[in-house]
Amino acid sequence: MESTVASARSFAAPDAQPLAALREATVILDDRAVLRRIDLELAAGITVLRGPNGSGKTTALRALAGLVPLARGSRDVPPDVLYLGHRPQLLHGLTARENLRFFRDFRGGGGREARIAAALDRWGLHADADRPVERMSAGQRRRAALARLDTEPCTVVLLDEPFAELDVAAAELLLHALREAPPTAAILVATHGHAEIDALAARLFEVGDGKVTPARQRP
Amino acid sequence: MLRRVLLVAGREARADRRQADGLVAAITFMAVLVLLLSLVVGPHVARERGVAPALFWVALLFAAVITAQRSFERELADDALDGVLALPGGRDALYAGKLLAIAGSLAAVALIGGLLQLVFLDLDVALPGHLAIAAALGVAALPPIVVLDVVLTLRLRARAALVPILALPVLLPQLVAGTNAVTAAIAGDEPTAVAWSLLILAFGVIYTVLGLTIVPTAIE
Amino acid sequence: MTTTIFPRILTVRIQPALAVASIVGALVATAMALLWAPPDANQGEVQRIMYVHVPSAWLAYLAFVVVFLASVGWLWSRRPVFDAVAVASAEIGVLFTGLALVSGSIWAKPTWGVWWTWEPRLITTAVMFVMYVGYLLLRSLSTDMDRRATRAAVVGIVAVLNVPIVHLSVTWMNALHQLPTVLRAGGAPAIDERMLATLIVGVVAFTLLYAWMLLARVSIERQRQERVMREQA
Repeated sequence: MESTVASARSFAAPDAQPLAALREATVILDDRAVLRRIDLELAAGITVLRGPNGSGKTTALRALAGLVPLARGSRDVPPDVLYLGHRPQLLHGLTARENLRFFRDFRGGGGREARIAAALDRWGLHADADRPVERMSAGQRRRAALARLDTEPCTVVLLDEPFAELDVAAAELLLHALREAPPTAAILVATHGHAEIDALAARLFEVGDGKVTPARQRP
Repeated sequence: MLRRVLLVAGREARADRRQADGLVAAITFMAVLVLLLSLVVGPHVARERGVAPALFWVALLFAAVITAQRSFERELADDALDGVLALPGGRDALYAGKLLAIAGSLAAVALIGGLLQLVFLDLDVALPGHLAIAAALGVAALPPIVVLDVVLTLRLRARAALVPILALPVLLPQLVAGTNAVTAAIAGDEPTAVAWSLLILAFGVIYTVLGLTIVPTAIE
Repeated sequence: MTTTIFPRILTVRIQPALAVASIVGALVATAMALLWAPPDANQGEVQRIMYVHVPSAWLAYLAFVVVFLASVGWLWSRRPVFDAVAVASAEIGVLFTGLALVSGSIWAKPTWGVWWTWEPRLITTAVMFVMYVGYLLLRSLSTDMDRRATRAAVVGIVAVLNVPIVHLSVTWMNALHQLPTVLRAGGAPAIDERMLATLIVGVVAFTLLYAWMLLARVSIERQRQERVMREQA
């Protein structure tokens, strides 16, 4: 079989240690190989994973997050991963504030309530922070999910289509948050094409047909 | 670890308070069954030895299935489940936390159902303390298997049929032990009540340990 | 993939040998059961159904213990061969549990006068049947191979541990209620030597048959798994 291994190794600076990696990873869902022997290493900075719907971007992120088992290959990811899927992962019945507090407490983030309030303010949810999430609009829930970027600082951040359902202002907030992110964090963003985030990316990969190939690297 | 389990259980309890439909459905189901029994077979048969306890445990089992299914439906609504599973230690905490939370809801259902039976059937309980202990043990012993079966059938279309098929044979011993323990407690047969209660405890411990060992990897 | 392909020697050499052995075994056991063994003093000819009933029940238990071991193997190592063994053994186990229930029922009608009685062994077997039907149902409804194997393995482990627990609780209930059980009356301590020999040959023949069926079913499952794997390569 032809080897179609794509690696970020050749693009990153020689001393850049990968913070998270999938190696030779194959993921099979419903008896179909969604990803075939992919290598994906994440170094510090922003990496963009680009591809059409159904290409396997989401599966790659879920494999990194440990949500789907690998049929072959290995996964090497530190425990402090923040995974934001294409749905907001907020529990109905709780408010946005309570959801954020649960996630933060679960990670043992300590009791600074002010940080949650600040995050909610920043993402424009000041007035709606104490409404149960099922009564919020899709865009508001999306903002609440993204507020976790502020309340749960993690080494590895995985964002699946983060611009979906965001209005212009919220998209600006997200771009700003990504620009301001600590340079030590590895951030992986999956999108089906978004010019602004491409401009921010240190590395860009194309996903298609079960494979991951490097598209370009910013000098 | 314990802290995380309590966080998951607390999150569930809070959501249950705001969206009480699952709990209300379980309590309504229990109450209707208790009332129906005496209407259908008549108060004399319903008061016969063993009849009311047997109905109580079977109804409680189905109430547990309703509660657990509702709890996981809520987890799937916005992929909240994925959010927990992606957290470090999230899998283990999720299963254990759900056990705690669902046992809590079941305690409320059991209390209301039991009181209704006592009042409507005018049962004289010889050993109320033993009865309470047997009921409490049973409430703790049902969730490990019920949650396990709901987890195993998650996202399957036929789960409504599969959960009872998988859960009933495994929970038969608990139902038998619970029925006998409560029957003995009502009749005042202390050694029998104690023996069956110990059996519920043993089954509960076995299935809880087994569940905590093998279920977390199967949550998807 | 580290698929230790199902050893060829098993399918090429051992499987045909097992086929011959189990057919010979079945013929010998049938001849012994129908012609050689004497009729029962009390029950007469109908007692000969025992030579089907007891080995079926034995196979049911054997098959489910194998499901348990294979399930542990899958959760431990995630090697697909374990899942293949688990599903193969579960299917055979359900078949023979059904056979044990039906043959027992046919035997019970003329001897006890009823098709069914609430006796611990019967209840345990019936519960076991329902559990493994549930196991196969769960498998058939899950589409994803890995997920199916993991979920089924959990049921395979819980179910086997549940069998003694069900038996214990039901026995206890009956003992305490002192239900009249028909079985205890006929606990014949001394069994005729020819009957015993026939029974042992029957059990051996059924076990050979199990091994043959298991091997055949596992190799089918392995081919299916490998086809899926190939399609992805």
